[in-house]
Amino acid sequence: MTDTTRAVGAPMAVTTSGLTKRYGARVAVDGLALHVPRGRVYGFLGPNGSGKTTTLRMLTGLIRPSSGSIEVLGEPYSWRDRNRLARTGSLIEMPAFYPYLSGRDNLRVFGATGPAAARSRPDEVLEVVGLADRGGDKVRTYSLGMRQRLGIAVALLSDPELLMLDEPANGLDPAGIVAMRELLRYLTGQGKTVLVSSHILPEVQQLADVVGIIDRGRLVREGTLDDLLANGAQVRVQVRPDEVPAALAALGGLGVPLEPDAPDAPTAGRITIRIGAEQAALVNRTLGERGVFASAVSTTSDLESVFLELTRGVGMGTPDDPLSGPPPGWGDLGSPP
Amino acid sequence: MIRLVRAELLKLRKRWASYVVLGVLVGLMALIYLLIGLAAPRSAGGLVLRFPDAYAIINQLVFGLGSLLAVSYAAAIGGADWTWGVLRVVVARGEGRSRYVVAKAIGIGIVVVIGACIAYAAGILLTMLAASIAGASAGAPFGPTGVETLWMSVVLGCIVLLQRAAIGYAVAVLTRSQVAGVVVGIILYLGESILATVLTVMTLGAGGFGSGIQRETQWFQYLPFSIGDSVMDAAATSLPSDLGDAFLLPVELGPALVVTGIYLVVALAIAAFATERAEIA
Repeated sequence: MTDTTRAVGAPMAVTTSGLTKRYGARVAVDGLALHVPRGRVYGFLGPNGSGKTTTLRMLTGLIRPSSGSIEVLGEPYSWRDRNRLARTGSLIEMPAFYPYLSGRDNLRVFGATGPAAARSRPDEVLEVVGLADRGGDKVRTYSLGMRQRLGIAVALLSDPELLMLDEPANGLDPAGIVAMRELLRYLTGQGKTVLVSSHILPEVQQLADVVGIIDRGRLVREGTLDDLLANGAQVRVQVRPDEVPAALAALGGLGVPLEPDAPDAPTAGRITIRIGAEQAALVNRTLGERGVFASAVSTTSDLESVFLELTRGVGMGTPDDPLSGPPPGWGDLGSPP
Repeated sequence: MIRLVRAELLKLRKRWASYVVLGVLVGLMALIYLLIGLAAPRSAGGLVLRFPDAYAIINQLVFGLGSLLAVSYAAAIGGADWTWGVLRVVVARGEGRSRYVVAKAIGIGIVVVIGACIAYAAGILLTMLAASIAGASAGAPFGPTGVETLWMSVVLGCIVLLQRAAIGYAVAVLTRSQVAGVVVGIILYLGESILATVLTVMTLGAGGFGSGIQRETQWFQYLPFSIGDSVMDAAATSLPSDLGDAFLLPVELGPALVVTGIYLVVALAIAAFATERAEIA
C-alpha cells in the first residue's frame, strides 16, 4: 500500500511504476511512480520541462514509455491496449481542432472516434463549458480561452471516469478559471477522477486533494495537499551573519530542524526553521529573549513555497546528483524574504 | 468504422479545399475546351470533340491533370491531421490508429470518386459545347460504343485516381505535414513523369531512333504513377497521352490493375504502419 493510498484510503485511478521516457541520452521522465486516487483531484505540478506533459502523453498512448508500467482504472495499460482510454478523457497541451469546422461539428467528429458518444452529447458538453451560444461558430474565430473550454468539452464527450488535463487553465480569464474549478469539483463529486497538470500553484492549491511534484523527470513529492503543506511549513528569520551562532543556539531549544544559509552565500544570516507558520511569534520571542533581533521574519505554508523549495534542489540528492542545484530557468530564488 | 467514415465525409464536405480542387479542375477543363472550340478548324475539331474518341481527351484531363490534384488533395487532407495536432486528440480518445487511417482514406476516396464523376460529366458537357463553338458534331456520347468507353473510362480512371491519392496520403503521413506532404507528393508525381520520359527516350535511343521501333513493355512502366497510364490506355486508346504511350507497349490491363491495386494497398499499409509506430508529440 502506497503512502497516497494510505492517506486517502481510495483505490487508484492511475498508477505508474518506474515509468521512464528517454530521448536518446536525455531522460525526460525518470522512474516515475504516480498514485492517482479515484474520485479525487490530483494536482500534477512541476516547472516547465520537468516531464509533466511527457508523462501525460505516455498515459494517453501518444508516446511509448522506454520502461516501466502503467495501470489505468485498475487495469494494466500498454501501448497496444488503447481500449482502456475509452474510459478516459484528456486535454493534452494546446487543444487541437479543425479550424474550419464549428465547435459543435468538432465535437461531432471527435465524438465519432473512440467510445461512442450520444448524438445529444455535443450540445450537452457545450452547455457544460459555457459555449452553447457559440457552438455554431467556426473554431478559427474562437479566443484562446474558448478553445481551451472546447478542449475540455472534447475531454468530457464520453462521460469519462478519468479526466487528464494538461494546463487546463491556460488562456482562461478569472471567471473561466473559477468556472473550470467548479466544474472539476462537480465532476469529482460525481465520482470521477481528475488528473490536472499545472504550474498555476494557487489554483492547484484550491482545487487538488492530492499533489505530485515532478522535477527534472523525477517525482520529488507526492501526498495529500494537507500533508504536503504541513510538512513544508517553515519560518524564516533574517539576522546579522555574525549573530547566526547565537540564533542557532537560541532556536535549538525548539527541537525542530534549523537550516542556516551558508556564511559566504549572498543570503548569509538567513535561517530556515521547519516549524508551522503559527509558531513565527514563538521563534521571534525566543530570539529576542537571547538578545538576537531578527530584521525580518516570514512564514510560508502555501503550495508555492513548498513547490519552490522542492524544485530548487533542497534535500534532493547529493552534490553529484544532477538534481542538485536550482533548475534551469527559475533564476535566483535565494534572496532573503 | 462507418461512424468514422461519416465523420470524415462531414469534415471533407465542410472543407473548402474539396470544392477548390474540383473548381480548379473543371475551370482548367473549361479553358482548354474553349480554346479547342475556338482554335480547331471544323474538320480537325472532330478529332478530339467527337465521341467516343473525345473520351480520350476527357480521360487525359480528368484522370491525368486530376491525378496531380488528387495527390495534392489527399496529401493536404492527410497532412492536416498532423499539422493541426488533431491526431493527438483522436489517439488520446482511444481510437485505433490504423482504423482511423483507413477510415480517412475511405473518406478521401469517396470524395475523390465523386469529384471525378462530376468533372467527367463536366467534360462531356464541355466537349459538346466546344464542338458547338467549333461548328463540328460531337456525335453521340451515349451511343453503344460511347457508353462502353464511358463506363470503362470512369471505372478504370477512378481506380487510378484512388491509387495515386493513396500515394499522396501516405507521403503526407510519412512527412507528418500538410505542406510537406503536398510538395513531396507533387515532386514525386512530376518527377516520375519526367523520369519515365527520360527512360523512354533512352530506351528508344538505345534501339536506334530511325531503324524501325519495336513497341515493347519496359520495367519503368510499372513505377507507381506510370502504371496508371497503362490502365487508362485500356479505357480509351485513340490518342497517345505521352511519348511512352506512342512508342512503348502498355502493360496489359490485368497485370496493370493488379499492380495498381498492390500500390494502393501498400500505400495505405505504409500510412497505417507509420501512424501506428509514430510518437505523437
